Order: sequence, then structure tokens, then C-alpha cells
Amino acid sequence: MQILIRHAKNYVRDITIAILAVAVMAGATLWQPHLLQKVISAILADDSSQVLEFGIQLVVIALLGVAAGLLNAVFAARISQSMAADIRAEEYDKIQTFSFGNIETFSAGNLVVRMTNDVNQVQQLIMMILQSLLRIPILFIGAVVLAIVTIPRFWWLVVIMIIAILLSSQGIFKRMGKNFFKIQNLIDQNNTLAKENLQGVRVVKSFNQEGAEIDRFTDNTDELVAVNTKIGYLFTIMIPIFMVVSYLIIGAAILLVGQNIVKNPKDLAAIAPFTTYLMQILFALMIGGMVSTFASRGMVSLGRINQVLKTKPDVVYDPKAPKEKLSGDINFDHVSFTYPGDDQPALRDVSFKIQAGEMIGIVGATGSGKSTLAQLIPRLYDPTQGTVSVGHVNLKQVNQQSLRQAVSIVLQKAVLFSGSIARNLRHGKPDASEQDMQWATEISQAAEFIDGYEDGFEHYVDERSANLSGGQKQRLSIARGVIGHPKILILDDSTSALDARSEKLVQEALDKELKGTTAVVIAEKISSVIHADRIFVLDAGQLVATGSHQELLGNSPVYREIYLTQKAKEEPNE
Amino acid sequence: MSDLMISIRYFGAYLKRYWLGLSFALVLMVLSTYAQINAPLYMGKAITALGQFLNDYFNPVTHATASKGKFYDAVWGMVWFYGLAEVAMVTSGLMTSRISAQSSGQMRIGLFAKLQRMTVRYFDTHQDGKILSLFTSDLDNIFNAMNQAIFQMVSQAMLFIGVIIMMFNQSATLAWVTVALTPVALLLDFFVITRARKYIDRQQEATGALNGYINEQINGEKVVITEGLQDESIKNFKPYNESVKKATYRGQMYSGMLFPLTQGLSLLNVAIVIFFGSWFVLHNGMSRAAGLGLLIVFVNYSQQYYQPISQITSVYNSFQLALTGSQRLHRIEVQPEETNPGKGHPLADIRQQVALDDVTFGYNPDKIILHDVNIDVKAGQMVALVGPTGSGKTTVMNLLNRFYDVNHGRVTIDGVDVRDVDLASLRDHVGIVLQESILFSRTIAENIKFGKPDASEAEMVAAAKQANIHDYIESLPDGYQTMVSDENSIFSTGQKQLLSIARTILTSPEFLILDEATSNVDTVTEAKIQAAMNNIIAGRTSFVIAHRLKTILDADKIVVLKDGRVIEQGTHEQLLAENGFYADLYHNQMVFE
Repeated sequence: MQILIRHAKNYVRDITIAILAVAVMAGATLWQPHLLQKVISAILADDSSQVLEFGIQLVVIALLGVAAGLLNAVFAARISQSMAADIRAEEYDKIQTFSFGNIETFSAGNLVVRMTNDVNQVQQLIMMILQSLLRIPILFIGAVVLAIVTIPRFWWLVVIMIIAILLSSQGIFKRMGKNFFKIQNLIDQNNTLAKENLQGVRVVKSFNQEGAEIDRFTDNTDELVAVNTKIGYLFTIMIPIFMVVSYLIIGAAILLVGQNIVKNPKDLAAIAPFTTYLMQILFALMIGGMVSTFASRGMVSLGRINQVLKTKPDVVYDPKAPKEKLSGDINFDHVSFTYPGDDQPALRDVSFKIQAGEMIGIVGATGSGKSTLAQLIPRLYDPTQGTVSVGHVNLKQVNQQSLRQAVSIVLQKAVLFSGSIARNLRHGKPDASEQDMQWATEISQAAEFIDGYEDGFEHYVDERSANLSGGQKQRLSIARGVIGHPKILILDDSTSALDARSEKLVQEALDKELKGTTAVVIAEKISSVIHADRIFVLDAGQLVATGSHQELLGNSPVYREIYLTQKAKEEPNE
Repeated sequence: MSDLMISIRYFGAYLKRYWLGLSFALVLMVLSTYAQINAPLYMGKAITALGQFLNDYFNPVTHATASKGKFYDAVWGMVWFYGLAEVAMVTSGLMTSRISAQSSGQMRIGLFAKLQRMTVRYFDTHQDGKILSLFTSDLDNIFNAMNQAIFQMVSQAMLFIGVIIMMFNQSATLAWVTVALTPVALLLDFFVITRARKYIDRQQEATGALNGYINEQINGEKVVITEGLQDESIKNFKPYNESVKKATYRGQMYSGMLFPLTQGLSLLNVAIVIFFGSWFVLHNGMSRAAGLGLLIVFVNYSQQYYQPISQITSVYNSFQLALTGSQRLHRIEVQPEETNPGKGHPLADIRQQVALDDVTFGYNPDKIILHDVNIDVKAGQMVALVGPTGSGKTTVMNLLNRFYDVNHGRVTIDGVDVRDVDLASLRDHVGIVLQESILFSRTIAENIKFGKPDASEAEMVAAAKQANIHDYIESLPDGYQTMVSDENSIFSTGQKQLLSIARTILTSPEFLILDEATSNVDTVTEAKIQAAMNNIIAGRTSFVIAHRLKTILDADKIVVLKDGRVIEQGTHEQLLAENGFYADLYHNQMVFE
């Protein structure tokens, strides 16, 4: 709610107009029955001129109501759009301050939903607040007051009606809520079944399970139908129950008026407006119930957006840190790291020093902490304990831009953005020239397929890089990583989709073209790091051995085991 | 056939079994409408009677005979008719909501069953998301429309006509006054709706672009962070956000106008009716009491009269969605199904061989993937398919158990064309382990027993053991009863593959198609997969798309595919001796350095 108020401040004038308009519209609705009473009284008094006067008033007020309603719609739409756009922008800005850790706690997909669906819900909520949420209390209170003013001694009938409607709606809503919860689950199951059968169509067919799956789906659907029927029943009886309550009250009112008509002959003119007010009370309650269910959905979305806005980025750079040229030295001093939400540390007490220009290979089983280690170097996470320094500067005190310029990481999953190849490469170096691109793509062996495109670097990369193969994506992402001549280049299993020959060529090119660059290469295959100056062996988050290939074969059982399984796999026992 | 006819037929097919219930509901709707339009008349009568009574009562001449009898009769009549209207409406509503739920459930099942009978080709050429939206959005829209729109429209239309008839019966002049504004109202509604629709199209375009951008940026946020692109990302976001704001504003404005417009017009119409009505009453020489009654009746009617107009405009959209939804569902219903030979051979054991004879095949006729391919594998032997990406290896697999049928040539098992074999029997004998492993959202046990639901516990465990996944499953707190899904990460990619191997082992197929994965799995899991694959291949006739040298060397025959043609085949030694493509592949890409 604070978010709404904060953003509403920019639109005070428009909001005032929208609220005034809605009040005028509600006022017109409320005033009509009152004028009707006056007209009827005038008829009974045979007063032509009064009939004419009130008649004109009626039409004028109705016209005013229409105009106010339309005006309200225009402003409500404008305010809700502007506020939604502002909220979306604020949320987007916030997400851009997030670290890897922040993104993982939410998951990217979830953040997208919070940026799109949730903002839409909030936009509709604002629209609804401006259009209905204000109109309904005015209508309700106005109708209650005017009904009582019309025939004061029947105040108790009004009260009985409101209580009866509230009680009966409570009972129905409670039952509905329970069933809605059930239905949501059943629908999810139903959709999951359908989805999995689509994805697994080959599995289902090859095991001849079409019939069994249809049975399963039918069972689920039958349950769904049963609950849907129940909800349908509840919906069907809800409004008629309210109507019957109102008709009984109206009938009673007319009867009571009739009984005492001799004492209060003027009540004859009050019957019609009184019943109209009763109906207005009923509609205000019904629409109020409906709107508040919708509004509660919007409030949930608002809460989810608020979570994003309130999240503190867990990696924060010191804005006052001076810019400097960092060297390619890397230093880990008793570094431990635990992912947020995990109990087990991913890295335990890791210490090492890497000299500028060294090539380091990192090997270890899945989950041994290789990627975690690599991601601490460009400060994608801060260590839980210990310090990481690059170029002898503690990363907690480093200037963000200087670090980005010095360290380049090529992630395991190659992600490119839609747009030209050139644009993607320039993400690594904004002012990259044609030559820079040529140089970088030759290193990554991407030049060979880019040359095949008529439009070369201007070739368009589709959304989700759908027009590129896995190997091509990796090659472009390596090119993007090297184009800025980083002091430190980290390759996190970045050549997994390349064939052996291309991988070798990339390595040779890197050796030749990036001589002074510290290279940290993470690999599943020992063949990828066999030529490294030193190889780090990780096991369950600990650095268990370092050394060259030959040294490690001699002194590290973990390394030897990895080597042997890979060797056995590749080289047949002949 | 016009789109509307398609929709009518679609609904007709699912609703015809409910004809009795539907006609009963219809009768009740008529009854309810009849009661609804008569009730206001009694309210008018009550007021007239009461006015008459007052007149009589205060007139010394008639004072003695003044009676409220007519008044009470009229009030009871009103309550009775309103009561009847609601009872009839509830009864027909209960019936239609039951029919809606049941028939839409049958549409759901009908769609699912139809999808199960369709060809793999359809699923390969259509996005899962689009097909899935038939379930998640189209069927939902249809159900909502049936619940809230279709029957509603029928009863509202009845009410509309009924009110018009009643009004003209009571007073043609006042009836004309009441309906006079209708053309204006309809035109305005129409104007606003078409405007709203036009802008909503634009709005969807702009929103699509914005969502696309957000989706791409946030999913690539890690790259945004590592490359320090945050400011650029925000800068590029702004124009998208602005354009959504602009495009959505108009659409929202017009759709937001619909409610106040119909509401306001009804207000205006009531005002006009009161205005003219009272003038009419005063200048038409009728008694004050009767005139008053008439005025009340028309105030009621003019409110009732506008109700259908605003209701129909509000349900129109959901009605429209249901129509387009049913047309999409219809398009699925006419899709071709898998063909099963009428008197198909049941397949016995494979005694001699599985063979591809001069097979030519393309996923579409203008683009042939396999050219005159001849491959055979003797019973009990293993053939390894080798070749670069796009050479047609996976395509060969697709033909063996008839996910696709050949264009020319034939695929035979013991000399019998697979197209002449009973489809279920064929697939019972052919097992397949796909590169991408699929898990279903159910227990691990159900997943392993997927192909043989009646397998015993012991059989299941034995299969899991052979697939090297038993120990891991046992280590889970719920063991084989653990719920899994494709999304939750109880299993790694490699373990999923082991599970799908276990699934195939359990059905014990005669003939096996295997696609070795090259996905990123760690060395330990990879060794397990290798062993499990060896277990499953042993003693069976098999086709393997091979990526591992070990598998290739174990094969009885190696077939090298390139650009959809078999360029070499033979044993490892033979092919090395030929010193061709395979030899090159072996020397350059497979040998450990």
C-alpha cells in the first residue's frame, strides 16, 4: 500500500479529479430516486410546473452522471497506466542493482513474473480503486442514509436486510473459498499432466501408455468437474438468495406502508424510491464483494513487488573507491562460501595465490565448488569468510568499473541477447572496432561461421539465440569475454559444446594472443587443462592439491582417479 | 464452413447428450422471464390500489366502501411472481452449471485423448506452449463462457424481448419513450467496444515487446552483471515502458468507459421515462392512482430493459473468446491420427534381422533428410550410428518404431514391413532410451514402472539395480515413493537418464534404440551411465547413436552417416583400414591426448 501512496503523490491533481468525478456519478445515482419521490408527490398534488421542474432536474443530473463517469474512466486509465509504468521502472532499476545471489533467491523466471504479471495486476487494482472501490462506499452509505430519510420509521428493515445479506454471503463465500483452493490444485495437476504428456510424447507412445495416461487424465478431470459443479451451484444460488431476501423486505415494506397509509398518506410517493434504495444497497454489497476479491489479488501482487523493492543487494560496491588499473594477480585468503539458504558450505577455507599471466586449470567432480570459486573472482558473490583480492586490492574495496575491466568471465551457460553479433560483442567492449571483433572471434573460432554470413558481424541473433547452435553460442560468448583484453580471463566450462578440434584451436589462440592474461580454466575434461601452468584440484569445497599434470598424477589420488576414469572412457583396452 | 458454424458444431457435439436437461433449463428460463416481467406489473397495481384506497377513504361518499383488498392481492402477487422467478432461475441455473462443468470436462478429456492418438509429427512441428494453451486458456475460456456468458445471454435476451412486449402492452407511448434511446446506446457501446479492441491489439503488441525485453534481460541478468551492462539495460528499458504506457492508456480508457457508459445511459433513460411518464400521466386524463401505478411499472421496466444491454456487452468478450477457443479445438480434432494396420501382424520375437531397405525420408517432402539408406542389424547384434550433427542419425531412430513413416523404401523386422505390424505390438518389442530423459510428476516407482504398470516390486528394484540408480533412490527418505517432477531437482541430468534406462530395462524389449547423451555429467555418473547402457544392450538387438568411443568399439557394426547418406559401414578395423571419414573422425576427435 505504501508503494501506491508513494507513487500516487505525483498525480494528486488527476486523482482528485477522478475522485470528484466518481463522487458526482454516485451522487447522481443516489439522487434520482429522491427526485422520483418529488415527481410522484407533485403528480399527486397535481402540480404541473413542479413535475416539469423536477423532470428537467432528473435529466440534467443523469447527463451529469454520464459525463462524470466518462471523465472518471479517462483519468483512472491515465493514472493507473502512469503509476504502473513508474512502479515497473522502479522495480527494473532495483533489479539492476541485484547480485547473482539476489537473482538466485528469486530465480530469473520469478522476477520476470513480478515485473510483468504482477505489475499488470497492480495496474488493474489502481484502476479498480479509482473506478469502483470509491464508488461503492459512497453508494452504500448514501443509499442507506437516503432509504432511512425516505421512510424513517422503517430503519429496522434496512438493517435487517443488510444483516441477512451479509450473513448469507459469508456462508457462501466460505464454502467457495475452500473449493477455489481445491480447484486451483486440480487445475495445476491437470495442466501438468497435459504438459508432461506433450513433452514426453515419444516416451508415452514408445511404451504404449496412451490408454493409461488417458485414464489418469480422465480421473483427474472427473474430480475437477465435481468441484467445478459445486462452485457452479454456489454461484447459482448466491444472487437469487440475495434477491429473495431483498424482495421479502420490499414486500414487507409495501405491506407496512399500506397498513398505515391512512396515517401517512404521503408514503404512497415513497414506496418506489424506498425500494430503489434497497436495491441499490443490495447491488453495492454484491459488487463490493466482487471487487474486493479482485482487489485482494492485486494486493498479493503488490506484496510481491514490494518484496523485490525491499530486497537489499547483497554485493555493494563502494562508490567512493578510486578507479585504478588492476593487475592480473589473484589472492584467496582463507575463503569460505555458503550459498544463501544452504547449510553446507560450497567452499571451505580455500587459500592460494595466482601470479599475473599464469594459466590455472581447475578440476573436480560436479558440486566440488569449481564454479563457485571462479565466481568469487569477479565478485559475483562476496565470500562468507576470508578475503578475495584481485591486483592486490580487496574486492570489498574495489571500484566496480575497474574490476569489470580487469576480470572477464565466460559462464557455463552461454547467454546472448537478441540483436546483431556486433552488438553482443560490444557488450564486452563498448567501443570495439571491426578489427577488435575480428581479432576476438578468430581466437574463439567464431570467425569461421561469421564469415559465412553475408552480413558478417551485423548478422542478427534471434531471441533465445534460437538461430545459433550451442557451440556457436559458446564461441561468441568467449569472443565477448576476450574482446576487452582482460587482465584475468575465467572460462567456466565454456567449451563444453565445442568439438575436440575447435577446443584445441581456441586454447592455442588464447595462449598466443593473450600472453599476459591470467587464465582460469574450469573443465570437466582433464584434456582441457592438461597444459595449464598449475592445476587446482577441488574436492567437496576444499582445495586438495595443486601442481602440474605430471606432479598431480604422482601425488594427488583425487586427480589420478579423475584422470583414470576419463582415460579409460576414451582409450579402449585393446 | 464458416467459423461460427465450426463453433456451433463443436459445442453441439459435446452438448447434444444433454438435450433433455438443456430443454428443461430453457423452459425454466422462459418461466422465470415470464415471472420477472409480470412482477413489476403487480407493484404498479399495488400502488394504484393503494392510491385508489386513499382516494376512496378521504372521499366522504366512498369512505365506507374503501378497501385494501386489491392492494393486498397485488402485493402477494408481486412477492409470488418474484419468488417464482428466482426459484425457476435457480433451478435452471443449477442444471446449466452442472452441464457446463460436465461438458467442458468432456471437452478436456476429448482433447487429451485426441492428442494421444495424433502423430509425433504434429508435436515436432508445433510448440508445446501453444498446444498447452488449449488446456490452460481455451478450455478455461469455454468453461467460463458457459458458466457466465452463454446461458446468461439466452436468458437476458428473453428478458429483453419479454420486457419490450410487456411495455407495449401497457402503453405504447411510454414504451416508445423507453426504447427511444436504445439505438444511441447501442451505437455508443459499439463505438467504445471497437475502439477498446483496436487499442487492445496495439497494447498487446507493446506489452509483448516489453515482456520480451524484460524476459531476455532478466534471464540474461548474470551476463548483464558480469559485463557491467546495468545502465545500458535500464536505458533501453525506458522506451519499452513508455510505449506500453501510451498504448495501454487508450485501451484501458475505452474499456473503462464501458461500465459508466451503460450505467449512465440507464440512469439517463430512467430519468427520461420519469420525465415523460409524469407528463403523460398528468395530461392524459387518467386517474392519479392509475397513472402513478403506470409510472412505477415503467420505471421498473426501464431498469429491467437496460439490464440485458449492459449484461450482454459485458459477457460479449468472454463469448467471443469461447468461440475462437472452440475453433482452435476443432482444428486439433481434425488432425491426422497415427495409422494402425487393420489386421496388423502381432510381432513375435526377432529371429533374423531389423533392416532399412532403400529408405528415403524427409520431415517435409521438399527437404529430404535420408537418401536411399540401407542398414541392417542381425538379431542379437549392436549397430553404432556415427556421424556429424545433422547427418540424420536421430531421423533413423524416428523411423524404427514408426514415430514417422518412410517416404520410399521400407523398414522391416524379420522381413515384415513395420507398417504392416500392429502398432502396439511393434512398440512393445521396440524399446527406446532418448537423449533427453522425461520424468512424470508422480512417484519414482510409478516413473520406473511407466511402461509396465503391473510390474512387481522385485522386478522394479532389479531394473533399478541394473540401471545403477537403486542405491541413490534408497538413500532418499521416501525411497521409491518419493514424488518427482521434471522441474524439481532430486535427480541430476545424468540420474534422470539412469531412471529412464531402468524404465526401459523393466519392459525388456527385444529391440533397442539408444541415444547416448553428451550432456554435461560428472565423471562418476558418466561411468554409471556407461555401465547401465552396457547392461541394457547385452543380449539385445540394438541401434545406438554413439558418442563414446567405447560404445563404437563394442559395436558389431559401425554405420557412418553423413548428409543423410551411409558413406561407410563395417567394423572398426575395416573402417580404419579404409582410411576415410571414420578414420579421420577417430584420429582427430576421439583419441585422448
